Amino acid sequence: MKFFRSITEIFGYSPFNALSKHAKLCGRAIGLLQQQFEAYRRCDFEEVERLRDEIDELEHHADQIKEEIRGNVSKSLMMPVDRHDLLEFLKVQDDIINYCEHVGHMLTFRRVKAPKEIWDEFEVLLSKIMETVNEYEEMVEHISRLIETSFSKKEVKDALEHVPIVEKLEHECDQIQIGLHTKLFNSDLNPIDVHLMVEWVVHLGHIANSAARAADRFRIMILGR
Amino acid sequence: MIEILTIAAIAIGFYVAWNIGANDAANSMATSYGSKALTLKQIVIIASVLEFLGASIFGHRVTYTVAKGIVPIELLSHDLVIFGALSALISAGFWITVATYYRLPISTTHSIVGAMLGFGLAAASQRYITVEQIKWGVLLKIVFSWVLSPLIGAFLAFVVFSLIRITLLERFRSESVESVFRYLQVLTACYMAFAHGSNDVANAVGPITAMLGYKGGAPYWVLVIGGLGIAVGVATWGYRVIETVGRHITELTYTRGFSAEFATATTVLAASSLGMPISTTHTIVGSVIGVGLAGGLASVNLKVVYRIILSWIITVPIAAALTISIYTVLVAFV
Repeated sequence: MKFFRSITEIFGYSPFNALSKHAKLCGRAIGLLQQQFEAYRRCDFEEVERLRDEIDELEHHADQIKEEIRGNVSKSLMMPVDRHDLLEFLKVQDDIINYCEHVGHMLTFRRVKAPKEIWDEFEVLLSKIMETVNEYEEMVEHISRLIETSFSKKEVKDALEHVPIVEKLEHECDQIQIGLHTKLFNSDLNPIDVHLMVEWVVHLGHIANSAARAADRFRIMILGR
Repeated sequence: MIEILTIAAIAIGFYVAWNIGANDAANSMATSYGSKALTLKQIVIIASVLEFLGASIFGHRVTYTVAKGIVPIELLSHDLVIFGALSALISAGFWITVATYYRLPISTTHSIVGAMLGFGLAAASQRYITVEQIKWGVLLKIVFSWVLSPLIGAFLAFVVFSLIRITLLERFRSESVESVFRYLQVLTACYMAFAHGSNDVANAVGPITAMLGYKGGAPYWVLVIGGLGIAVGVATWGYRVIETVGRHITELTYTRGFSAEFATATTVLAASSLGMPISTTHTIVGSVIGVGLAGGLASVNLKVVYRIILSWIITVPIAAALTISIYTVLVAFV
């Protein structure tokens, strides 16, 4: 529109919706990873590869959101949170989906053979990770309420109550991982199969770990105003 | 000849007023549309009526400053005042048009003050007055008010929003607080339109007042014409600006819009009663920053501050230089 002077420029780019969207993608990726393990277990390897590609796509989309935020959150923006805290938070949150992508690929490396109890244990680990990331997502969803209420004490308290829960769930993931590692190293399975499954466990652990670290960065960002 | 020039000045003054309504009034009212406190139609009606009332009831002090506060017109002949005021209007009108085309966040206030200064300097260069007789003291006060008004806007908005935050948002559900402010924001929108009219009408009719009120006061209908020009500007073009701007500022909720508008209108109305011509646009930018500083906004782009400072620095000399050129041509040929 020509012949038009405006003050719209004063309202800068807001990264908060994009941050929530990014967190949602992380949650969706884990859901797919869970399905991928199920498909693997029933030896539907075509489905395993299809799900890998789908996770890849989500990861790519998340990267685009990350780039959008990084490209727009310039120094001249005045936001209710510190810019560095925000970017650091985003970086750690992005690790969640990155590790999902890693595991998604690792499932296509080799067709391993494992007994039922190992698969059951993987199922337990994955649902615990899902629980962790769901809790994490709920925490991030508080962002819009925090902005609306201009970080009222009650809203801050409500949002940060999720942090210790995420940390507790992450610790439970750790316990399951330890159990799985012990089982795997003491099995008489093919050593290469064991090696690959150990890698899976390690990387699945990274997902939960990243969620806990991102929750911590979220708290730093909210309290560091 | 004099009659033709006077009619020309009134026509250009009306055009400047139209511009003020089309862009500046619209900008200040767009916050109400962005927050959906009012519909576009309601805003256009409120803005037109209250801008008109503000201009015609409360516009005389600032108009007087623009007309007689900068150039000592009583020391000049009536013909020279007519040439000077006409040149100032042409210059301001031209610069506002160019700046609007290039989307520079300039202020009509700065343009007209620069243009009147140009008139004074042109008269001084022809030795009708001395440079010292230009009212530098008043100019200094005006410039001071330009620096101060966004700061006061920011301070007031910060205080108002902080109060809302501490007393209401901390205690009650934000949805219920916002719904109360939906209605309160209608009041601040009216307040804002009234304040804007009272200050900015001078940018259009100040020079006309200098011509017609050369001796004694200017006829009252001058302010009415200015007020009408602004109202017509809002109704014929401003609604498009309100729509476009409003769509971009959706994050300004009722409480934020209320704080920014209340702070701006109070600052501008205070300036009007002191006779200081200030920029409403720059004051609202200051107020928005104030709400941001109080933690009320997701993101405020401070880059716009540099653009505003730059537009100050260029507007005054350009408007002055344009006026000097037009004045010189008019005096030589008419």
